[in-house]
Amino acid sequence: MTERNRELFALIPASLLVTAGFAAVFIQRDDAVSDVSLTYGAVFLALCVAVHIVLRLKLPNADPYLFPLVAVLACFGLVMIYRIDDTLAREQAQWFVVGLVAFAATVIGLGDHRKLERYRYVIALTGIVLLLLPRVPGIGQQVNGAYLSVNLGPVSFQPSELAKIAIVVFLASYLRDTRQMLVQGARRVGGVTLPPIKHLGPLLAVWGLAMLLLVFIRDLGSSLMFFGGFLALIYVATNRLSFAAIGLALFAGGTWFFASTVGHVQDRVATWRDPFDDRLYDQAGGSYQIAQAIFAQADGGLFGEGFAQSVLNPPEGPPLLPAADTDLIYAVITNELGLFGAVALLCIYLLVVERGFKTALLATDSFSKLLATGLTAVFALQVFVIVGGVTKLIPLTGVTLPFISYGGSSIVANFILLALLLLISERARAEAKEAR
Amino acid sequence: MLDPVSIALKFAFLGVLYLFLLWVARSVLRDLGRTARGTAATGAGAPPVAFRSPDATGMHTASGPPLSDGAAPRLIVEAMSGVAPGMEYDLVDEAVLGRGEVEIHLEDPFASGRHAQITRQGNTVVLEDLGSTNGTYLNEDLLTGPSPLHAGDTIRIGDTRFTFET
Repeated sequence: MTERNRELFALIPASLLVTAGFAAVFIQRDDAVSDVSLTYGAVFLALCVAVHIVLRLKLPNADPYLFPLVAVLACFGLVMIYRIDDTLAREQAQWFVVGLVAFAATVIGLGDHRKLERYRYVIALTGIVLLLLPRVPGIGQQVNGAYLSVNLGPVSFQPSELAKIAIVVFLASYLRDTRQMLVQGARRVGGVTLPPIKHLGPLLAVWGLAMLLLVFIRDLGSSLMFFGGFLALIYVATNRLSFAAIGLALFAGGTWFFASTVGHVQDRVATWRDPFDDRLYDQAGGSYQIAQAIFAQADGGLFGEGFAQSVLNPPEGPPLLPAADTDLIYAVITNELGLFGAVALLCIYLLVVERGFKTALLATDSFSKLLATGLTAVFALQVFVIVGGVTKLIPLTGVTLPFISYGGSSIVANFILLALLLLISERARAEAKEAR
Repeated sequence: MLDPVSIALKFAFLGVLYLFLLWVARSVLRDLGRTARGTAATGAGAPPVAFRSPDATGMHTASGPPLSDGAAPRLIVEAMSGVAPGMEYDLVDEAVLGRGEVEIHLEDPFASGRHAQITRQGNTVVLEDLGSTNGTYLNEDLLTGPSPLHAGDTIRIGDTRFTFET
């Protein structure tokens, strides 16, 4: 099978999943088997095939698995959000289409990802402005103590989703130029290679930025995501584990300091350490959310309660799972599909990440290699931050689960990220094929 | 409410999901195996981006000092680690480009030890890839065999770029 036929073939199970998922939700809701679910499956398949045709024409050699994997993720998102709230699902479906259009536009309009390198300072500036936008009075919006979203009339979006791409593009092109310099003059002290003091500058600058982010938008999750992505890039660029280790130590020190001084971060850490504490549980914005998420996941068992079976909004009292459509969607999935469903979901993410790093391995120039690594690392860290938060491995933060959580900016930004990965993959695989 | 159809659908969903995952994982594993063999065959032991600690002394062992009267065939540096853009390498009769002890030493992690060769044959100058791992690009096309160079051609090896001028 050629690459593109593989891709087309893999889209079939994706649309079957949409059909099965919607059918199960319909049965639970109306007690009737409805052929509407078949229509939904068909529409989903048609949309995916349309994008597949764009890929067939523009990127014939690109990685065949990435797009179907993402389609399955989107299917999870649509079914689960529909199950939580119909109107949100309709909006999510619209955003999914917008995301596909953005994906196709990036593939067709950009054509070659290396063009981005020319505008790296503009891109970096855009990224930083986007990150700080939620703090601008009037349009910025505070949700649960963190400044992550922007309200522009009817549309509200999370600029950090787009900023993550901009910052990775900048770092990749910056490190491509300076990586040689970063390594030169390194000394070995007691078996550990230490970078020269003067070249710690960039590392410290980005660390400072991450800390600033922590103070400004008060979100540990995004800060971890950005800084982790940067460390992954610097490790790949210099092959020096010491750089990554120093960076991690600095980050740990910085977060510890802020966790004990900034109020909002402090609360998050307290609820993470002891979610079942009575005082914290009853407090507004306390550990209710995370405690309920843990109960929901435990309740799922091996195979889950089944689609649309978990009780999210009891007739009286507060919702059992606050923010079920965004932050806690992973808990809903675990509750309804059980351990098996959740593990399958994580496997899909794992495979997406594997294909991303594979693309980086195949690329033949530094910028492509670093860009693919950075985009994949940021994507993987985002999944880690939110799934880790919901499972109480790290403090819970308001990062979206890529392609699944409700939210337009998240879907669109992640589709752009996917388009960039496929553009890199196209060049790399075409060259590998030629050389064979 | 335990509707048998609903339960069947849930397991059908999980079943399709796992079959899909198995299929992708199997194809991906085969793909990984193939690349591992492919790199072993071409003898690229080095990790792709990681590079040896650069020895600054081995940097400028080029064929002849970069002097030019403007008529001889020469390579003009567009982008090259450790060398300023605009610097020129005169091509006397034969020059090997690579990361090893060769005429034009490249401090580029993507370059092989002996990466490519440029030879003068009468009035034409020919570029040939010496079986490098990452390939040589002439005007952004992968070089497959010996190819004559024309004024204004660009040569790319990894991140290093030259323009050929006569």
